[in-house]
Amino acid sequence: MIYLDYSATTPVNKEVIASYTTACEKFIGNPNSLHRLGVEAKEVIDASTKQIANILNIKTSEIIYTSGASESNNTAIKGIALKYANRGKHIISTELEHSSIIGPLNYLLSLGYEVDFVSLKDNGEIDLEELENLIRDDTILVSISSVNSEIGIKQPIKEISNIIRKHPKCFFHCDMTQSVGKEKIDLSLVDLASFSAQKFYGMKGIGILYKREGLNIEPLIHGGKSTTIYRSGTPALPLVVSIAKALRLAYEDFSNKYKQVEEMNKYLREKMSKLDVHINSPINAIPHILNFSLINIKAETMLHALEKDDIFISTQTACAVGDYSRAVYAITKDKERSSSSMRVSISHLTTKEEIDTFISSLEKNIKELKR
Amino acid sequence: MKVIKITAVWCGTCLIMNKTWNKVLKEKNIETISLDYDMDEEEVQGYQVGKKLPVFIFMNNNQEIKRVVGEHSYEDMLKIVSDLENE
Repeated sequence: MIYLDYSATTPVNKEVIASYTTACEKFIGNPNSLHRLGVEAKEVIDASTKQIANILNIKTSEIIYTSGASESNNTAIKGIALKYANRGKHIISTELEHSSIIGPLNYLLSLGYEVDFVSLKDNGEIDLEELENLIRDDTILVSISSVNSEIGIKQPIKEISNIIRKHPKCFFHCDMTQSVGKEKIDLSLVDLASFSAQKFYGMKGIGILYKREGLNIEPLIHGGKSTTIYRSGTPALPLVVSIAKALRLAYEDFSNKYKQVEEMNKYLREKMSKLDVHINSPINAIPHILNFSLINIKAETMLHALEKDDIFISTQTACAVGDYSRAVYAITKDKERSSSSMRVSISHLTTKEEIDTFISSLEKNIKELKR
Repeated sequence: MKVIKITAVWCGTCLIMNKTWNKVLKEKNIETISLDYDMDEEEVQGYQVGKKLPVFIFMNNNQEIKRVVGEHSYEDMLKIVSDLENE
C-alpha cells in the first residue's frame, strides 16, 4: 500500500498509541475529582499542557482542548462573533478556507453578520492592500489559514498580522491545521489558532485552539469548568497526553524531516513534469503538498484507478461535490483545470520507491483512461 | 414570483451568493424560500438539484420559469430578476 494522502490525515505514530494506552490504563480518575486518582490525573494533564506550551512558546492558560480543528475553528469564529457583537458584525476571510471556516461564516451571515472575502493574487497569496482597505471600524475578526490544504499555498502571516495589529479592536484567527507539525509556527503573530493532532501522527478526536491571554470568547459548549472555562466536558486525559507526545515527536529532528520532504517534493515534481498533467502547486507552496490537474480525465476516475494499484491520493473538489476547486481556480483562472485537480501529499515517511511506483501507475492509467 | 434558494453551509460559493442575493433583495421584493442542501434533503431532492451549488429556482404560479446555478455577479442576478419581471 502506498499512502500519499498525509494532508487528509496521518497514520498514528506507535509511540503516540503507546502513550495513549498507558494513560488509559494508569490514570483512570477524572481530573476534576478531588480524590487521589483525580489529583494524579490532573497532574498528568497539567504536565502535558505545560509540554505543549513549551513547544509552542505560549502560556498553558492559552490552550483550549477541543475535539479537532473543526471545533477549534467554530469556537474561534462564533466565540469572537458572539462575544464582540456589540463592537461590530463584520468579518473578513478568504475563499481558500476549509469548510469548518466557511460553515460558521455562513451561519453568522444568517444571523445578520457581514462577511467579506479578501481577493487572491495570481500566486494565491491574499492581496494585502485590499485587506487593509477592507478592515472597517466594525470589523471584529479576520480569519485566514496559514496554509491552504488543497494546493499548499502559504499566506504571509507576519504581514497580515502587521496590518491587523493596527486595528486593536479586530482579532486575527489563523487556521494552522496544515502548518503545525509541518512548519515552524509563531503564535505570537495571531490572537487565535486552530489545529488538530491527526495531521501530525496523533490521534483523531483531539485538537487545540490557541487563544491569546486576555482575549475573551463565548464558549460553544457550556457546562462545568474543564481544563478551561471556554470548553466544558470531562478532560480527555489520554487524548491530551497523546497530542503532547505527537507534537513533541513532530518537532523532534524537525530540520532533517523537513529537508527530506523537500527532496521528495523536488523528485516528485521532476517526475510529474514529464507526464501529461498540469502542476498547480506553486514552487513556494509547502513541500508536503503537490496539486495537479489531469487533462480530459475525471479526477475521481483516476483516484479509483490508482486505488486498484493500492495507491491512495485525493481528489480535490473544493467543498462543493462535483464543482470546480475555488483554490485551483484562484491561481489558474481555468475552470477545466480546476475541476480535474488531484492532491498528492507526502511526508518524511515517503520514499523514492513509493514515488516511482506512483508515477508509473499514474502514467499507465493516463494512457489507459485517455483511450 | 418567488425563489427557491438551495445552499449548503459548507459551500463558499453559497456564502458569496447569499450575500449577493441579500443585496438583490434590497432592490427587489421577492419571496425567498431558503433550503439547506443537507438539512432539507427530502425537499431538495424534489427539485432535482445536481452537484453544483447554490441553486436559485425562480417560480411563477408554482411553475419553474428559470434556474440559476453557481456564482453570478450582483448585476447579473439583478438583470435576471428584472427580465423575469418584465416577461
